[in-house]
Formats: sequence, C-alpha cells, structure tokens
Amino acid sequence: MTPLQGCLLLSCTLFSVGLAGALSRSNAILVLLGIELMLNAANLNFIAFWRYGPSPAPGSVNGVIFVVFSIAVAAAEAAVGLALVIAVYRHQKNIRLQEANRLKG
Amino acid sequence: MNVAAQSLWLIPALPLAAAGIGALTPRGGRMLAAGSAITALFASLVLSCLALNTALANPAVHAVHNFAWFDLGAGAVRLGWLLDPLTAFMCVMVTLVGLLIFIFSLGYMKEDANFTRFFCFLSLFAAAMLGLLVANSLLLLFICWELVGLASYLLIGFWFHKPSAAAAAKKAFITTRIGDLGFLLGILWLYDARGTLLFFDGGAGILEHASLAALSGQTVCCGLAAATAIGLLVFCGAIGKSGQFPLHVWLPDAMEGPTPVSALIHAATMVAAGVFLIARVYPLMEADKLLTAVPVHALTVVAFIGAITALLGAVIAVGQNDIKRILAFSTVSQLGYMMLALGVGSWVAAIFHLLTHAFFKALLFLGAGSVIHAAHHEQDIRRLGGLRGSMKTTFATFAIGMMALAGVPFLFSGFWSKEAILHAAHALDGSPALRSFGVVGQLPLAIGLAGVVLTAFYMTRLVAETFFGSARTAEAGDVHENSAVMTVPLVLLAVGSVALGFLGTPAFPWLQARLLGEAEVHGHSLLEGGGLMALSIVLVALGLGAGWALYGRRPRAAAAAIDPLAARAPGVVAALADRLGFDELYAATLGRLSDLLAMLAAGLDRWVWGGAVNVLAGLGRALGLISQGTDESVINASFDDAGAGLRGTGQVYSRAQTGDAHGYLRVTAIAFVIIVLIIVLGGIR
Amino acid sequence: MNPDYALLAQALLPEIALVVGALLVLGLDLAIFRRQEPAARYRLVMNFGAMAVTVALIFACSTGFSGPVFGDVLFFDTLALITRQGVLMLTLFTFGIACDARRLRHPAEYVAVILFAATGLILMAAAQQLLLAFLALELASISLYVLAGFDKSRPESAEAALKYFLIGGMAAAFLLFGFSLLYGLTGSLILPQIGMMLMPQGPSPLLLIALVMVLVAFGFKTAAAPFHLWAPDAYQGAPTPSAALIASASKLAGLVFFYRLLWPGLGMSAGDAARLPFTIGWVPVVALLSGASLLLGNIAALAQTNIRRLLAYSAIAHAGAMLLGVIAAGASGPAPLFYYAFTYAIAAIGAFGVIALVENAGRCENLADLAGLHRRSPLLAGCLLVFILSLAGIPPLAGFFGKFVIFAAALKLNGLGGPAGWLAVAAILLSAVALYYYLLILKQALVVRTDGPIRRITVPPAATATLLTAAGLLVLFGLFPSVLLGLFQ
Repeated sequence: MTPLQGCLLLSCTLFSVGLAGALSRSNAILVLLGIELMLNAANLNFIAFWRYGPSPAPGSVNGVIFVVFSIAVAAAEAAVGLALVIAVYRHQKNIRLQEANRLKG
Repeated sequence: MNVAAQSLWLIPALPLAAAGIGALTPRGGRMLAAGSAITALFASLVLSCLALNTALANPAVHAVHNFAWFDLGAGAVRLGWLLDPLTAFMCVMVTLVGLLIFIFSLGYMKEDANFTRFFCFLSLFAAAMLGLLVANSLLLLFICWELVGLASYLLIGFWFHKPSAAAAAKKAFITTRIGDLGFLLGILWLYDARGTLLFFDGGAGILEHASLAALSGQTVCCGLAAATAIGLLVFCGAIGKSGQFPLHVWLPDAMEGPTPVSALIHAATMVAAGVFLIARVYPLMEADKLLTAVPVHALTVVAFIGAITALLGAVIAVGQNDIKRILAFSTVSQLGYMMLALGVGSWVAAIFHLLTHAFFKALLFLGAGSVIHAAHHEQDIRRLGGLRGSMKTTFATFAIGMMALAGVPFLFSGFWSKEAILHAAHALDGSPALRSFGVVGQLPLAIGLAGVVLTAFYMTRLVAETFFGSARTAEAGDVHENSAVMTVPLVLLAVGSVALGFLGTPAFPWLQARLLGEAEVHGHSLLEGGGLMALSIVLVALGLGAGWALYGRRPRAAAAAIDPLAARAPGVVAALADRLGFDELYAATLGRLSDLLAMLAAGLDRWVWGGAVNVLAGLGRALGLISQGTDESVINASFDDAGAGLRGTGQVYSRAQTGDAHGYLRVTAIAFVIIVLIIVLGGIR
Repeated sequence: MNPDYALLAQALLPEIALVVGALLVLGLDLAIFRRQEPAARYRLVMNFGAMAVTVALIFACSTGFSGPVFGDVLFFDTLALITRQGVLMLTLFTFGIACDARRLRHPAEYVAVILFAATGLILMAAAQQLLLAFLALELASISLYVLAGFDKSRPESAEAALKYFLIGGMAAAFLLFGFSLLYGLTGSLILPQIGMMLMPQGPSPLLLIALVMVLVAFGFKTAAAPFHLWAPDAYQGAPTPSAALIASASKLAGLVFFYRLLWPGLGMSAGDAARLPFTIGWVPVVALLSGASLLLGNIAALAQTNIRRLLAYSAIAHAGAMLLGVIAAGASGPAPLFYYAFTYAIAAIGAFGVIALVENAGRCENLADLAGLHRRSPLLAGCLLVFILSLAGIPPLAGFFGKFVIFAAALKLNGLGGPAGWLAVAAILLSAVALYYYLLILKQALVVRTDGPIRRITVPPAATATLLTAAGLLVLFGLFPSVLLGLFQ
C-alpha cells in the first residue's frame, strides 16, 4: 500500500464516519461535528494529493494553501452553525433536531 | 440625415408616453391627461417638421435605422424606422390634424366623466398611427396597424353604455380583422419568400430591386406572379382598414364614437392608413406591371375596387339623413378615389388627395361636431336647418370644407387633388395593363366623373338642409356658436383646406415632385389636359345646381316633410337610405355561414375534442389507479378529476416534506448514493 | 505568474466597494446611527447599504475590464460581467424591499451581511479556480444562512436557518471532497487546466464520483430535487428580504458558477443526454435532476396553501427548467440560461417584495391573506400580476421568452430523439399545470372580495420604485429579448 492509498483510505473512512454521524445523531451539535469531519476528510485529501499525487507541479503549494483556507472556512461555518443552534435553543429549550419541525408540508 | 432617421422613434414614443401618463392618471386629473397628450403631440409635430425639413433636403434618399428585435434560430427579426418624404409628409399631416382635433376635444368632451380615459386613448391612437408611418418593417407596420385598430375599437366604443356604440365597435373590429387576415397571410408569405420584412435594407429589403425581381419572376398557381399574389393579400388589409368595397360596412357605423374621434380616425388618419400602406409598398404592387402573361395585375384590381367604392359611397350618401353618416359615406367614396389613383398608377396623386382630404374632411367632421354639440346632439339634417345665422364661424368653415370636397374649382384644395386623380386615370401612364384594355381601361375615369356629380349634389343637400331655411325643431332653434377652443381649430383647418391645394397644382406640382424624390419641379400649363378639367368643372356645376334646385331654392318646411328626391323616385331613395342592403345581405349570408360554422365547431369541440380529452384523462386516471392499486372504476373520468388526482399527488409529495431536518439530510445522502450507483454502474457497463 | 495587484484592484472595484460599504456601515452604526431613533436608524442603515450597492453597480457598469486577472484565478468574460451587474441589481432590489419590510433588530449587521453575501455571489460568477470558487461560494452561503436566521424573535426563522445551514454544510462538504478528488486527478486548481488534463483520461469511476459530489452541491444551491428539501422551509421561515435574496441572486449566481464549472471546466466528461443510449457523464445526471425538479416542483405546488411555500415549489420547478438550460448551454452558450435565470430572479424578488409589503400591513402567510388585494392596493395587485404572469410564462412578459429560448435550445440538441427533448416537452406540458397554481394566487389577489372594511396598504416610495422597476424590466425584456440576449454576441 502506497502512502497515497493509505491517506485516501483514511480520508474516506473519516468522510463516512462524519456522514454517518450527521445522519444518525439527533443532537444538532453532533450533526455539526459530523459535517466538520467530512470537511476535514476533504482537507486530508488535498494534503495527500499535494504530497504524493500523480502530477504535483514542482514548487507548487496550492494544495496546502487550499487546506489553510478551507480550515478557516470550516471555522467560520462552525461559528455560524453554533450561533444558529443557540437561536434554536432559545425557542425550544433543547437542540434536538426532531423537535424543530414547525415548518413542513 | 441619419440623426433625423435615428431619432424618428421619438415621434410615436412621445404620444405613447402621454398615453401611459393618461392611463395612470386618476379621473380627477383632467388637465394633466389632456395637457400631456397635447404637449406630446405638439412635440411630435415639431419633430415631424424637422424630419420633413431633413427629408426634403434629400428627397430621393430613404434614410433607415434598423436594429435586431430578437434572434430566432439562425436569423434575427429586425425592425427599423424609415425617413423619406412620404413618411415625413404623413407625419406632419397626422400630428397637425391630430393636434387640432385634440384641442377641439378639450371643448367637445368637456362634460364627459371619462375625459382622462378619452385623452389616453387618443394619445394611444396617435402613437400607433405615427408608429405605422415611420416603420421600416412590414412587421412593425402590422403591429402598429393592429394597435391602431385597437385604439379605434376603444374609441368607437367609448360610450360603451350605448348598445349601438358597443355593437359598432365590435363590427369595426371584426370587419377590419377579415381584411387583416389576408394582410397577415401576405406578410407571412413575404417573410417565407424573402426572409426579411424590412422595406429598405441597403439592397436586401423587400422593396428593393433584388427582392422585387425575385418575386415578380416567381410564378404561383393560375399563372399569377408571387408579387401579384402577395400584393393582393396586402391589399386585403387596406380594403378592411380603408373601408373599401366589400368591407366598407363598418365605417358608417363607426360614427357612434364621439365626433372628434370620427374626425381624427374615421376621416383624416386611420382610414387613410390603407392608402398609405399601398403607397408605401408601391414598388411591390407595381412589380408585376410589365409582365404580360399574367391573368391579372395587382394594380388593376386596386383600380376597380377603388372605382366601385368611389361610386358606391357617393350613391349611398345621397340617401342618408344623419349628418355624420353622410360624411362617413363621403369618406368611403373619397377613399375609393384614392385607391383608384393608386390603381391607375399615380400614387403621388393618391397621397396628394389623402393630405388635402385629411384637412377638409377633418374640418367637415369637426364642423358637424360643432353643430351637434350646439344642437343638443341632434344629428338628423331634417330636424336641423337655419343654422347659418346663429353659427357664423361654423357655417363659413363648413362651407369651405364642403366646397373643397365637392371640388369647386381653383380656390379649394379638393379640386386640385381630384383633378390630379382624374388626369392620372385618363392618361394611365403608370398602368400599361389598364391602357391595353382600351375603352374598358377608361372605365375608372368614367366612374370617377360620375362620382364628381354625386359628390357635389349630396354635399349641397347637406349644407342646404342644415344651414339654410329656418329652424325646424326646438333643438335647432336654440343654438349658439361654440367657444373659441372649438372654432379656432375649424378656422385653422379651413385655411389648410384652401392652401394645401396650391402645393400640387399642375402648374407647379411641388408636392408630387418631392414625393417622387425629384429635386426639380416640372410644371406645365393648365391648358394641357384642359378639356378634362373643363368637363369636371361642368360636372361639379351640374351637381351643385341640381342640389340647390332640389333642396336650396325651396327649403324644407318641416322635419317630417317628404324629401323632394324621394317624391320623384321613392324606391331608389328608400334603397339608398337602406345603404343598398349590404348589411342585411351580409347578415343573411356570411352571418348565417358563420353561425353554421360555429355550431359545427361547437359540436366538434364537444364530441370529438372533448371526447379525446376525456379519453386522455381517463387513461391518466387508469394508470394512477393501477399504480396505487386503489378503488373506484374509471367511469366519471373528466378534467376535474384528473386535476384532483394531480393535486392529491402533490399532497403526497408535500407530505414527504416532514419538517425533520434529519429526514432531509438522509434524503440528500441517499440520493447521492443512488446517483453514484447509476452513474458508476452505467460507466462501467 | 506575476500577480498584478493594481489590475486586480481595478477589476474588483465593485467587490471592494461592497466590502468597504459593509465595514463602514458597521462602524458608522456603532459611532453614529445607534443614537438615532430606531426608525431613523433603520432607514439610514438601509439607505447606506443601497448606496454601497449603487456605487458598486456604477463601478461594475463603468469598468469595461475583461480577461483573466491575478494569474487565472478570476476570469471576467461577458457572462461574469453581466452576472455581476445582474446580481448587484437584484441586491439593490432586496434593499428596496427591506427598506419597507417588517423591521428587524440589528439593522446594520443585516445590511453588512447582505453586502457580504453579494460580494460572495459576484465573485462566484467570475471565479475560475477551485479555491477561490469555494471561498466565494462559502462566503455567500454562510452570509445567507445568517440572513435566513436573522429574525430572532420568530422560532420559524431560526429553524429555517438551521435546516438551511445543515443541508448547506453537508453539500459544501461534498463539494469540497469532490474538489479534492479533481485536484488529485489533475494536480491543478485552474478550471481550464483541469479540463485539459482530463481530456485524455476519459471518465474513470473516481472522476464520476467527484462529479456526482459536485452535482450534489449544485443541486443544493439551485434547489433542484431531490436536494431541494431545504427550500420550502427556508423560504417560509426566513425574513422576507432574505428569502427574496436566496430565491433570486443566489440562484442566478449559483447557476452561472456551476455552468462555468461544468462546461468550460468539466465539459470533457459531460456525456450526452440528447440521444439514447446516453453516454455517461454529468449531463445525464443533470437531466435526471431536471426531470425530478420539474415533476415534483410543479405537482407539489398544487397542494400548497402557504404562499411562500408555493413560491418555493414553483422555484424548484423553475430550477428544473434552468438545469435544462445548463444541459443545452454546451451547444447554444449561456445566453438562454442567463436570460431565464435573470428574468426569473426579477419576478421572484418582485413577488417576495409584494409579500413583504402586504405582511408589513398585517399578515401574509396563506393564499387567503392576499384576498382583495386589488382594493387594498391596486399598485401591489398590478405588480403582482406582472410578476406571477411572468413566472407562469405568459407572453409578452420575460418569463415566456425565457421558457421559449430554453426549450428551443434543448430541442435543438437532438429534437425529440432523446431525454433532453422529452424533458423540454414535459416542461411545456407541466407549464399548464403550473398555470393553475399561479392563477390561484392571482384569483385571490384580483378577484376574491373580502367582507368588512378595506384596510388600504400604503406603499412607500422606495418599494414603489423597486416594484415598478422590476415589473418594467420584465415587460422590457419580454418585448425586447435582444436587449439581454444581444449582450452575449
């Protein structure tokens, strides 16, 4: 197994774990956590492809730069997500997703 | 030149904007609506004069400004404006006459509750009419043509609470639509054949040499040239709009509208649109004139339709008693003269007569409006009389209009323009086909000369009955001259009715030369062709004398007194008063036929199409039932049930939206997996 | 690669104006506006926001700059420039509505976030590199989540925002993972380079998975079934101006973004859905989404009683037609797609504007709340008529011509010889169904009479101007489609 394959396997596992968490948890924060895991799996991919990828341009750092930015984006997303979770909590006094179903139909 | 052509769109755009303002103005804003309408038209008049000035500097040039409206397939539908002397003269005439009529309406419609709506419609009409004039594309012309029809419908039916007005509006709309159908077919054919509808487009337009050569070279069924067939179809539109036989029946009924409308639309401008159209596409109409092997030439048909209409209108006018109807039939007759001029090959004579007619007919209608307004809406000439003393300005101007229309020699414009038409019909310079007919080719001239007598006769009758003698009813006794806002336009139009004739006398045919794009004016002596002129002068004198002998010498004593002409030939006059029974004829034949067709269509609709819809709906329902595996048989399958079924499905879909965010996330993930499976398995295959 | 910062600053003047405006409005609010009366403060802040957008719009219209910027990171072609102007115009409309909608707390923040969202949206349309594309998309998305949840007094708003956020976040994760795979396959982040690298490879399973991951995000952004589930809830719960922005500008920019990603970037692996059997690629998937959206959107809309949910389902149906435009854009260029999306956006924002004003005067939840609108405010009823008829695709309004160009482009691919042609026919048939629910709205607004006294709605000048401009544009573009379509030649 080459290092690239190992990294990809890990990232796929991470993505799947994140997805499973997002789909199965009823706690909104845990769902958010799952989504963060999925984002990080993608970040891992970028690093792995940059380091071991088939055709890395010499001296190019674009994979790393991408990851730096996407971590920042993920942080911003988490901040907004937590704020929204709090907003929901204010109204329904818990953060269970199943109970947030005023809007339907 | 190009600047003037490019900004030509402003001429119709300004009244259009005024119509928009009028539409948004509440009922109370009378001065705003009228003010904006009059201001806009005045601005258009100024622009038209500037355009005329530009066009006259280079009369032979057709300055165009074309642009793409939208793309369709590989090509684009293009529209454009066109500036040449014909457009410019017409624009000046329409804006000038229109402006005077707008001002007259201020007084005439003063008491109407829907004053703002009236000015909105008037502006809309002016915008459409001006758009029609400046168009450089048959499509744009057709769009404006239909808008003109719409405005006319709205204005005829302006007093829609009167059943007769509503019916007249409908009749006008539907009758002209019959002609427009032919026109539309012609347009489609032309587009199919040439791929463009622009008149002038640097050599590629439909009125330019390449296109005309192609169209006249192509033969369609019965040996007709394509140019002839298209020309005749386009002429159908002109027949409808310009009230030509056999579609003339709507025009007299259109007099149900307010009188300024009759003056503007059904005398001066709109009805002349058909004449303008033929003059505009004249190269197309005469494209076949040098062909000898064809069974008929487009212009020959135009000439005979025009001649028939000219005579028919004049004959029927003799038997009418309503002041506006007499004028309406005289309009029909005069439009016939214009068509006759077009048909015998002299489109400039037609336009000359169109311009002079616009002035004196608007004058006559406004004069009639002035009489009607003063006489408490009494329109029957038998119940009027003796207005000469109490309405001096109206009488004087009306008399000028009457003499112009009757063709009283030398001083009045109608004489010169009618002379031009008769000369053209005699010489037949522009129509080798008619000339080759020999004596038959002189038939339009003979009919035209007969019309001259009749015109002088019925106009004398109209004036004698209305203004001479003594008042025969209380309404006619209690009249006063109208305010200046109504009389001033009359005076101005009267001046135009006299002066305009001198632009086109045979001695100095300036107008004709400019329209033809010639820089030089070649006059010739009045004595050339003096025989024909003398003959027509004699005929006019005959008509005037007969009219005066019958009606003027011994004025009618009472409203109910029998008509002197009817006393001599009762049957003829009754038939004429009945308008020769055209309406009844159409009702009995075409009306029946359309009833029959409607019944047939209703039957088809109910049994065949309805059945098909039911079958389809039933099929859908059956499928739905099979898939759901639920109850009920397929008996009462109708459209409603199919709709209800769809709505039920919608509710099912809608219920899938549970409001649970988890469900949403799961659907997203599952959809992802399914799509991956489809695409990856499909890709591996 | 020598980045030219002066050129970058010149090309991005509108974006700079927006960001500076957003920061200024926050600062000024802290320093000055806060001391004003709430009503005056709200008005000041909104006017300031509108001013910033106007300045940006002036920049966007005046700089004729085109070509690549900053390496190949951004590419300003006709589409990008026109989309930028279009999005800014829609943002301006949003402010026109927000000015007179129900007031929110923290207006300065609301304005700033709208400006940030607009920045993200216009960058999305010009981005040509995966990183910048992702950043612009996230800037826009995160701003929109915040906007959806801005009305903290209503539980619906928070719930809508949370749902929008969770699905959006998941879609973003899919997109990022897809991007990482594309990067792995080609070693490049620049779209044209990716396209060139992919050309010799052919569709490998990994590429296909990457494509589907990108398409999930695409479906989310354009609210195409089956990734549409957030849309009805978000439209219903979000404050009306936010919903208007989500329905209009976000959709327009999203479509342009994905058009750029899919055709110039991944055009090599498009596949073909115009013939049977179709070759595999992303086009058949988009056709699938399109068909599902058309069917589900139109039919589910029939069952709605809430007016915003109805508009949401109709938006899903319109998304189906737009995806058809994306499919056809390979052969006929982006002009039909842009025309449809932009005119749809104007009509949608106008409809939401009418809702906002009615709501401000009372209640506007269900269709029945519109009853008697023609007597309460003829202006609103008239404008609503134009917007709804345009959505329904009635000539001579722009909606009709939009449908016409899209279906014509789709049928041009291969006539009725394959799924693309069938979809066009299905879309035409479903338009008849759509007419039913659109007319339901109009029936309430124009025909139904209400008992009791008429509570007239006064329409403030800003909203009047906005609605009349929007309606006027729909008529203008409908009568003269080449005003818009001609820009692409």
